[in-house]
Amino acid sequence: MEGKVIVMTSGKGGVGKTTVTASLGAALALQGKRVAIVDMDIGLRNMDVVMGLENRIVFNVVDVIQGRCKLKQAAIKDRRIDNLFLIPASQSDEKDVIKPENMVWLTKKLRREYDFTLLDCPAGIEHGFKNSIAAADEAVVICTPDVSAVRDADRVIGLLYARSITPKLVVNRIIPKMVENGDMLSHEDIVDVLSIDLVGLVEMDEQVVVSSNTGTPLVSNKESKAGMAFQRIAMRLNGQPDLPIDNPMMAKGFWKKIGKKLGRKNKDAK
Amino acid sequence: MKLNDLLKKLIKKPDSREVAKKRLKFALVYDKLEVSDDMLNNLQQELLEVISRYFEIDRESINLDIQRSDDYSALVFNTPILSAKHQQGTSAA
Repeated sequence: MEGKVIVMTSGKGGVGKTTVTASLGAALALQGKRVAIVDMDIGLRNMDVVMGLENRIVFNVVDVIQGRCKLKQAAIKDRRIDNLFLIPASQSDEKDVIKPENMVWLTKKLRREYDFTLLDCPAGIEHGFKNSIAAADEAVVICTPDVSAVRDADRVIGLLYARSITPKLVVNRIIPKMVENGDMLSHEDIVDVLSIDLVGLVEMDEQVVVSSNTGTPLVSNKESKAGMAFQRIAMRLNGQPDLPIDNPMMAKGFWKKIGKKLGRKNKDAK
Repeated sequence: MKLNDLLKKLIKKPDSREVAKKRLKFALVYDKLEVSDDMLNNLQQELLEVISRYFEIDRESINLDIQRSDDYSALVFNTPILSAKHQQGTSAA
């Protein structure tokens, strides 16, 4: 069976796209799938450091496309997680060195080798974005609860629809306390504005910084709430689309839960 | 939490979350209405072609514009008509 190519995109930079992509890739591989992550940010590669594979790069995606090496030679195997591979971006080429038709060719090969290929799209809607969506079967749009990130997400969603791809949304870096106090957009607000299906909600988590410092996979850290959220998103992408989405706003404790229910009833009564 | 709510009500400052949502909705609507000059020019050209099949119009004093207000946007096309063209059998082609 042919694998799926999923483009991971956001429009705006700095919303955690690389972390989300690395984590979902790791989670899918831990669930037994063969996964390739392709860094599409030509000239500004970063996925290699986030995954802790920076000193093992020999060939990159441009080498594959220009025929200087085989796909297998450019795919770096993760040491900790079986079945997880990175195809790094080139650091020295110009970003217009890859054309959309090259990506169509490349992803044809990738679909044969891997169950999931995640394309880590650069910020913006220029070359890297156009290349990434030219060859994608599905799309995950990542945004944070900021006005600017949601606006850019809307733009990207529109461009994906124009290519007949119906994207799914990950809301990243939710701070439940701020939402509760009315100082942060809730995921309901965002879904309402963007009218798009959610695939996951991820809480702000300091462990993300720790994990990228050390280049270790976030999903193997059981302490990390974000890591657990990524595991569940991966399950949704991997044949369980109806797995319920954990709401970070739900109070965890029993009494808090009851308190919340009562609070809500009071609100309704008003 | 309850005390917090009460205080907020007393100060009557809207949640920044509500403000954010409103601004966002407005920005998205506005973004989608953005039309390039090229597109307006093409539209004007095509409208002219169609209209001049039926009317003699003053091509100099034509005005095509998008007018926006808070609630809606309207495409406004103004053209003085000099006379109606009487349809002939051949004009349909």
